[in-house]
Amino acid sequence: MNRTPAAFSFRGLALPALVATSAISALGFVWPFLISTPQARPQWLFALAVPSALLLLFASVSNDKLDTKSIALLAVLAAVIAALRPMGTGAVGIEPMWFVLILAARVFGPSFGFLLGALSMVLSAFLTGGLGPWVAYQAFAAGWIGLGIGLIPRNVRGRSELALLALYGVVAAAFFGIAMDLQFWPWTLGVDTQLSYQAGAPISENVDRFISYHFLSAMAWDLPRAIFTASLIAITGKPILHTLRRAHTRAAFFTPIEFVKAQASEREKEERAAQ
Amino acid sequence: MIKFSNVSLIYPHSTKTIIEDLTFSIQEGEMVLVMGETGSGKSSLLRLINGLVPHHTGGILAGDISVDGISTREVKPGSLAHIVGIVGQNPLNGFVADIVEEELAFGMEALNFPHDVMRKRVEEVLDLLGLNAVRHRSIATLSGGEQQRVAIGAALVMHPKVLVLDEPTSALDPIAAEEVLSLLHRLVHDLSVTVVIAEHRLERVIQFVDRIIYIEGNGETAIGPAEEVLRTAQLVPPIIRLARALNLSEVGTSVREVRRLTDDIRAQTFETTEKIAVSSDVVIEVDELTISYGNHRALKGISTKIGAGEIVAVMGRNGAGKSSLLQAIVGSQLATKGSVWVHQKDPALLKGAERRRSIGYVPQEPSDLLYAQSVRAECAQADRDNEIAEGSTFAFLSRLVPHISEETHPNDLSEGQRLALVLSIVLSGNPELLVLDEPTRGLDYQAKNLFALALKEYASTFNRPVLLATHDVELVAELAHRVLFLAEGDIVADGSTLDVLLSSPAFAPQVAKVMSPKPWLTVSDVVQALEQQP
Repeated sequence: MNRTPAAFSFRGLALPALVATSAISALGFVWPFLISTPQARPQWLFALAVPSALLLLFASVSNDKLDTKSIALLAVLAAVIAALRPMGTGAVGIEPMWFVLILAARVFGPSFGFLLGALSMVLSAFLTGGLGPWVAYQAFAAGWIGLGIGLIPRNVRGRSELALLALYGVVAAAFFGIAMDLQFWPWTLGVDTQLSYQAGAPISENVDRFISYHFLSAMAWDLPRAIFTASLIAITGKPILHTLRRAHTRAAFFTPIEFVKAQASEREKEERAAQ
Repeated sequence: MIKFSNVSLIYPHSTKTIIEDLTFSIQEGEMVLVMGETGSGKSSLLRLINGLVPHHTGGILAGDISVDGISTREVKPGSLAHIVGIVGQNPLNGFVADIVEEELAFGMEALNFPHDVMRKRVEEVLDLLGLNAVRHRSIATLSGGEQQRVAIGAALVMHPKVLVLDEPTSALDPIAAEEVLSLLHRLVHDLSVTVVIAEHRLERVIQFVDRIIYIEGNGETAIGPAEEVLRTAQLVPPIIRLARALNLSEVGTSVREVRRLTDDIRAQTFETTEKIAVSSDVVIEVDELTISYGNHRALKGISTKIGAGEIVAVMGRNGAGKSSLLQAIVGSQLATKGSVWVHQKDPALLKGAERRRSIGYVPQEPSDLLYAQSVRAECAQADRDNEIAEGSTFAFLSRLVPHISEETHPNDLSEGQRLALVLSIVLSGNPELLVLDEPTRGLDYQAKNLFALALKEYASTFNRPVLLATHDVELVAELAHRVLFLAEGDIVADGSTLDVLLSSPAFAPQVAKVMSPKPWLTVSDVVQALEQQP
């Protein structure tokens, strides 16, 4: 028996591609904690490697069969998120986009969530006018947030589902803050303060420095972002989840397609007549 | 060209067989009408032709469908895109580009046609459909008929052998509908395109089609030449009902044919029937009303009065100012100049419950008023808002459409059911005036009859006015006492339905065209006149 295509999921070659490119970009985030000998600015290497990994991943996904319904859904949701993101710029950490990403990933699954997060970050970079290597870092971070939704059990519904999603929103907001700081932090090398990255210093020294850097510079962003995202999920979660689930049903993902011989229908008819 | 052999279709999560054991074949260059009640499976049948059902929707398909020798079970809908062109019910939903030319080229772009071919074909289609004058215009600024032609053009550039259209004329005024249908007629005859069309407004299409596939409610399907199917069908246009009422030996599908058959009836003389006295209590007073949007004047200083118990139809081309007039009366559109009074009050100043009690408004898109998750929630909300007994809204609704489930999501209802729901909600407020903007789009004859009955009952029992904008001349003939005819923002005719409809050949209903110059608009008018004859 056949089925109509599911909302996008990483399968076949796309799965190892996701793992490999994610590993590369994860290295791009955490390398300052892995090397203690001074290197010739590895951040330059990763500034090239992470965007390339993203391109590679997109290429492998579009070679794989992304069916029309998934593309349409992805495009609409990515456009919504990309349009929502700049609405909060200026205010500290008020980014009204994470709740849509989290709720959509919840309904359409982690793989779709990854693609949606990554794609909408790239798209919104075009809108806000800042295209650079950091976009790839943001895209991976947002993608992982979408992917991480898979940690929440599928069968939870109602209030506990909303509570879990809001909690996930807090974690995601904090995660995004840390990831972005981590990405930016090594570039402060040379700016000689107590908080900047010290090439060649022992790893523990750098971890200490990063923690103080993060808490001093970024808490003002992370906290509002976390509160804002969690409360948006709590307030709008019910109707939005309902709408998205309806779209999921209407799009008939996973619906069985069956072709049977015409004779079968004749037999059915006779059976029905016999009853 | 199209071959169905023993086709049956069931959707998953549903127990009802949509189509059962259907066998037919359509030749190249045939024009075939698919007719049936709302929800009978017309759209499913159309979508089976290019494989969207079941490849896109899921479902269990028995039997075999082949189009131009290709079996739809073996290929995806995309691989049939160059053979089957499909035009949806609302052309605006299908447009991708802003400009007419770009929209026409879009499909070929997607299939990677070479540039010189694209250029040639766009020119061809622009000429064929007479769209050359609007080629650089934005699609949103075109009239309904032009938009529908662009949608057909966008399907035609791929040189499909089959063109499938789902209710192409339901949103169009009679003249634009004529334009689209005669275009299809020409495509069939000149280019031998095979056309399959689903339509509710049978009176518009039957004279053009070769054969009819009639999906009856009970799972039976009748296929045959138009006259043959219509002779016995339940669902028939006025012209056929006329033939049956007069016991004519054969049924005709065009005005010309039936006129020839009814010469003797028109030759008799009849006494003219007395006119119904119209109430003199003025409820709505429109005085020198002008409405402008920027530089565009939608209404140019019109004045009229509407009395209690009157049912008034506002007619005119798309863009003539019908909606502007209705919105000004409802109070959602402010007058640029002049004034509107409803019961000596300015409707724009009414608020909340007072507004609900004074004016009931059903907008062009009835679902704009629906926001709850189920029919039950909508009805309960209406009961609470209007402080009436619990369940009365739903009771009224089930009188209009008997088999409606309370759990259904409003967006899953058929057009007719959704309209009935909105009408029940609006009427639950017991408004002193009812205003409806194009209410009968997508309704079959049965739903339309129910709807007309509900409106008549409202107008006569409460002696309150009903105002409706519509393109549906048959409905106007059946329902309205008076017609306001708008053109370019002016009232060009204002009088009794009989006078206005008879004086305009394009807007005359079929029965009037057949019986002209006799002053009859509907089948019951004719029957009544004949019965009164000694």
